[in-house]
Amino acid sequence: MFNEFRILRRNRSAILISLVVIPFFFTASLGAGRGGEGETYSATSELPIAFIDEDLSEASGRLYESLVRSEDFNMLLQGYREEDALATLGKGGLYAAIVVPEGFEKRLLNNETGIIIVHVDDGSPGVDDAVLSNIDASLSNFNPNPRIKQTGNIEFVGVEIVMKGASFSGFAVGLTITLTMVVVFATFYEIAGGMSRERETGTYSHLLVSPVSLGSIMIGKTLYDVCLNVMRTFIVLGLAIYVYGASIHANLLSLVLSVLFIAILTMGFGFLVSSFGIGVRAVVIIEFFLILFLFAFSGFFIDKELLRGISQTIATVLPWSYGIDILKRTTLIGQPLMSLTYQLQIIAISIILFYGVAYLLLKLSRERLVK
Amino acid sequence: MNRLIRDTVVVAQKELKQLSRDPLSLALTVMFPILLISIFIVISSAFGNPNIVPIVIADLDGSGESKILIDKIASTELVRIAQLVQTEEKALAVVESGEVIGSLVIPAGFGNRLLNAQEAFVVVQTDNTKIMASMNIIRAVTEQKQELLDDLMEQYGLRTASVEIVSRPISGRPPTGDFILPGQLGMIIILGAFDDAVNAMTRERERGTFPRLALTPMNIFSIYSGKMVSTLVINALRTTFMLIIFVGNGLVIQGNIALIYVTTSLIAMFTLSFGLLISSRVRSSATLTILEIAITFPLFQLAGAFSAPEVLAPAGRAISRSLPWTYGIEALRRIMYLGLGLEGIAGNLAILLISTMILLPIATLLSKRTI
Repeated sequence: MFNEFRILRRNRSAILISLVVIPFFFTASLGAGRGGEGETYSATSELPIAFIDEDLSEASGRLYESLVRSEDFNMLLQGYREEDALATLGKGGLYAAIVVPEGFEKRLLNNETGIIIVHVDDGSPGVDDAVLSNIDASLSNFNPNPRIKQTGNIEFVGVEIVMKGASFSGFAVGLTITLTMVVVFATFYEIAGGMSRERETGTYSHLLVSPVSLGSIMIGKTLYDVCLNVMRTFIVLGLAIYVYGASIHANLLSLVLSVLFIAILTMGFGFLVSSFGIGVRAVVIIEFFLILFLFAFSGFFIDKELLRGISQTIATVLPWSYGIDILKRTTLIGQPLMSLTYQLQIIAISIILFYGVAYLLLKLSRERLVK
Repeated sequence: MNRLIRDTVVVAQKELKQLSRDPLSLALTVMFPILLISIFIVISSAFGNPNIVPIVIADLDGSGESKILIDKIASTELVRIAQLVQTEEKALAVVESGEVIGSLVIPAGFGNRLLNAQEAFVVVQTDNTKIMASMNIIRAVTEQKQELLDDLMEQYGLRTASVEIVSRPISGRPPTGDFILPGQLGMIIILGAFDDAVNAMTRERERGTFPRLALTPMNIFSIYSGKMVSTLVINALRTTFMLIIFVGNGLVIQGNIALIYVTTSLIAMFTLSFGLLISSRVRSSATLTILEIAITFPLFQLAGAFSAPEVLAPAGRAISRSLPWTYGIEALRRIMYLGLGLEGIAGNLAILLISTMILLPIATLLSKRTI
C-alpha cells in the first residue's frame, strides 16, 4: 500500500488526473448542465418564440398575456407571418411558433375546444418538449370562457393527485450519478491501468517474484485505492456543497460506505481484467465501454425497469446497477444501508467472485513466471 | 507548394500503412464506432419505447367511478397493475420495500365527491430514486384521471371550453428516440479523432520516431497536414459505417449526405488540432487517452449530444456555446434531421473551420518547441 502511495506521490500527472481533473470535470459538468442545488431556470424564458395571432380577438390577447405572465416566455415575438416563422425555424432565429388560428375565440364562446398550433424546432432536442410543457402549464392560468358560467346540476371540479414519496432536487440525483462515474472511472484505471503499466515497465514481474504474497499485493492495492476513493468522495462532495450549494441529508457514513462498495466492486473487476495480461491501451478501451455500459444499463439515466429484452438481462446481471441502487436509496431517501440486504448480497458475491477469479489467474501467471 | 503537397501525401500514406499493420488499432477503428452506436441505439430505444412499469392499487372507494379509473389505468401502455391491495399502508409498504415503483390509492368517498361537485383526490406514491419510471406512473394517472373527468362530463351532458395544443414538429417526424443519433455521430467522430491524435503523436513520441520524422527535410507543417489527411480518410470510413447503421435502423436522413461528410471532417479536424495541442504538453499516451475519456463524458452533455444547449442551465449554456464541437453537432442534426442545406449550417461550419485555423498553428508551434 505504501509503495503505491510512493508511486503516486512521484507522479504529478496521476495525482492531478485522479484527484483533481476527474472529480472536477464531472462535478462541474453536472453543475453547469443542471445548475446548482436550488437553482431554478426556465429553458424557454430566453428563447425567441413567435406568437402569431390570426384571430386578433380578446381571447387570443388574454392567451398572450397568460404566456407572458408565466415568465417562461420572455421573448415572445409578435409580427411574424406563419410562413416567415416556419422559414426561420430550425436555423436558430426562432425555436417555436405559436399560432392562434382564426375562430379561436368563437369556438371558446361556443363552449368548444379552442385549438392553438405550435410549430416546434424538433431539431433541437429537449427544446420542443420544454416549449410544449411550458405552454401547457401557462394554460392552467388561462380562463377559456370567462363570460359563460357552468350550468347544469353537476359541476366536476377535478381530481387532485396527492404525491407521496421522498422528493429531492435534480442536482441531488445528478450528484449520485457523478459520484459513481468518478469512482468507477478513476478506480478501474488505477487498478487495471496501474497493473498493466507495471507489466509494461517490467516492475510487475519483480513484484510477483518477491516474497510478498499475491493476496497481500491485492489487499495492499485495494487499501491504497480505498484511501484514494475516500479522498475523491470528499472532493466531489466538497465541490457540490461549497460551489453548487448542495445539501447532503444522508448519513455520511452510509454514503461513504455505499461509494466504497462500488469502488471495491470496480477494483475486483480491475484485478480480473488485468489478470489477462492486457496492455494499458486495452485497459482504457475496456474502461470506456464499462462506463458506457453503466450509462446504458445500470439505472444511471434510464431506470432498469424501463429496459426491455436483452437490455434488461444485461441490467440484471450487471452488479454495478445494484451498487448504484444502494447509493441512490441511502443518499436520496435515507434508507438504512443494512436494510438493502438483497443488493448487498449481490455486491458481496460479485466482489468475492471477481477477486477470487483474479487471484487464481494471477497465481497461474505467477507460477508460469517462476517456472 | 508542390513539395508541401507531396510530403503531406507521403506522411498520410505512412500513417495509413502504420494503421493497417496494427491489427488492434485497425479493429478498433472499425469496431469501436459500431459497438458505441449499438449501445446508443439501445439507449434511444429505451427512451422511445419504455417497458411497462408495475404499480399496486388500493381501491378504498369501490365505487363505479373508481372502477372506471382503474380500468383506464390498466389499459395504458405506461403502467401495469401488478397487485390490488386492501389498505393504503399495504400499498405504501410495497413501494417502500422496492417490490414495485409506485402505488395508487383511491380513497373512500372518491366517487361521491366527484358527483357532488367537490374536489376529489387520489394518492400516488412513487419510488423517486427511479426518476423516469416515476414520471411514467404520474403521467399515466394524470392522463387517465382527465379522461375519467371528460367521460363523466360527456355522460352528464356537460361541456366546458378548453384549449388544445396541436404540436407540429418542423421535421415532420413522429416523436422517437432517434433524435440523439446525429449527436452520437458527432461524439464518435470526436472520440475517434482524439484517438487518432494519440496514435499520431504520443505513441510516435514514446517509440522515439517523432524526433526522427521532425528531423527529416520535411516541413513540420507537411507532417501535421499528412496526419490530418490520414485522419480525414479514417473519419470518412467511420462516418460511412455510422450512416449505414443509422439507415439500417430506420433513420431517414433528410439532408445532403456530402454535407454530413464535410461536417464530420471539420469536427475531426478541430478535434485533431485540439488533440495535437494537448499532446504537445502531455507526453504519455496512457495519460492522454484517459484525459480524452475524462473530457468526453462531460462533452456528451455540454456539446449538445443528448439535448440542445438551450435546455441547459445558464452557465452550461454559455460553456456549450463556447465549444466549437457544439456547432458541429448542431449542424449534423440540422442536416440529418431537418434537411437543411449549406445556407442553414454555414455559420456552424465557419466556426469549426476558424477554430481549427487558430488551434492548429498553435499546436504546431508548441510541438515544434518540444521536439
